[in-house]
Amino acid sequence: MKRILPFLIILSVLGVALGSAWYLKRASTNNTPPSANSDTPRPNIPALVAPGAEPAHTMGPVTAPVKLEEFGDFECPPCGQFHPVLKKMHEEFGDRLLVTFREFPLTAMHPHAVSAASAAEAAGLQGKFWEMHHMLYDNQKTWHEQFDVRPTFEGYAKQIGIDVERFKREINSDLVARRITEDGKRARSLNVGGTPTLFMNGREMPFEIIINEEKFRAAIKQELESAKR
Amino acid sequence: MSQPVADATDKHIPTSSSLLTRRSTYIHTAVAIISLLGLADATYLTIEHVTGQSVRCTVIAGCSEVLSSKYAVVGGFPLAMIGAAAYFSVFSLATLAAFGYRFATTLLNLSVAAMLLVSLWLVYLQAFVIGSFCQYCLFSAAITLMMAVLLLIRWRKP
Repeated sequence: MKRILPFLIILSVLGVALGSAWYLKRASTNNTPPSANSDTPRPNIPALVAPGAEPAHTMGPVTAPVKLEEFGDFECPPCGQFHPVLKKMHEEFGDRLLVTFREFPLTAMHPHAVSAASAAEAAGLQGKFWEMHHMLYDNQKTWHEQFDVRPTFEGYAKQIGIDVERFKREINSDLVARRITEDGKRARSLNVGGTPTLFMNGREMPFEIIINEEKFRAAIKQELESAKR
Repeated sequence: MSQPVADATDKHIPTSSSLLTRRSTYIHTAVAIISLLGLADATYLTIEHVTGQSVRCTVIAGCSEVLSSKYAVVGGFPLAMIGAAAYFSVFSLATLAAFGYRFATTLLNLSVAAMLLVSLWLVYLQAFVIGSFCQYCLFSAAITLMMAVLLLIRWRKP
C-alpha cells in the first residue's frame, strides 16, 4: 500500500486540478446572471439591478431584437480595442441592434478615466455623446500619456462642434458626476468585474468572443435567430 | 540507507542521518503542500487567460497589463498553463521524495531552482519592462521562493 500511496495522492491532486479547471472554465463561459436584464430602463427590471443613468446613451431602436450593453472605461486599452469591433457590428446589423454604453471608469488604475467619462457625459448634455465617445476611444493612446487632458478634451469638443464654454462648465457639474455614479451602481449590481463587459440580451459575453469580429458576429446572428423563434 | 535509521531507533539515540531523513520528509511534505497553492493560483490564471477575462481591465488590480503583455504567452502556450504544469510536477516530485524516492529529490531540487530563476526573471519584467505588478504573479513568485528556501534548509547540515 505504502508503495502506491504517493501515486494515488498525485493522481487525486491531478483529478482535482483538472476538475476545478473545467468547472472554472464552464462558470466563466456560461455566465448567465438571472437578475441581469439589458433592456434599459423598463418597469419589470428586478429591484436588485440598478437602472443606471437615465436616459441611457443608446444607438439603434429600443425595439431591436438584440440589445447590447457595454460597461466601458475610455482609458482601458482592451476597451479601445473593442470599440472598432462594436462600431463595425453596429454598422453591419443596423436597426437589429440596440447598443447602450455605460460609464465604468476604473479610477484605481486609470488617472484620466473619470475626466474622460465626464467629457463624454458633458458632450452628451449637448446631444453629442457618441461623437465624443468615438473621439475618446479613437485617440485613447494620445491622451492616455498626457498629464493634463483638459485642453485635449476641449479640443475634441471643438472638433465635434459643441459649445466649448458650456462643455467646460458642465464637465464639472453635479449632473455629469451623478450620471457616472448611477452607471457605476448598475455595474456593481450586475457584478461587473472589469472593462469592457458586454451584456447581450442580459447575458454577459466572454471577452474572447466579443474581441474577435467573426465570433462576435456569429454570436449576434445566433441571437437574432433565436429572437425570431 | 535504512540501516542507520534502524540502529538509531534500537539505541534510542537519534543519529544525524536519521534526523536528516526525518527532516527531509517534513520539508518535502511542506513543499508538496505549498506547491498546491501555486497550482491553484496558476490554474486560476490559466482559465482567466483561456477565456480572455485576464486581458480586460479588472476592478481588483492592474493584472491586465501583465497578463496581456507578450510575455504572458510562450510558444503559443499561456505562461500560466506552463506554471500550472510546473507546480504539478513539483507536487508530484515532492510527494515522491517525502515517501523516500531518491531520484525525485534531485529532480525536485533542479525543478525548483529552474522555477526560481524564471520567477526572478518574471518579477524583473513586471518591475522594469511592463511597469505593472500582478498580485497573482507575485503570489506565484513568493510560493516558489518559499519552496526554494525550504529545500535550501534541507541541504544545511544539522
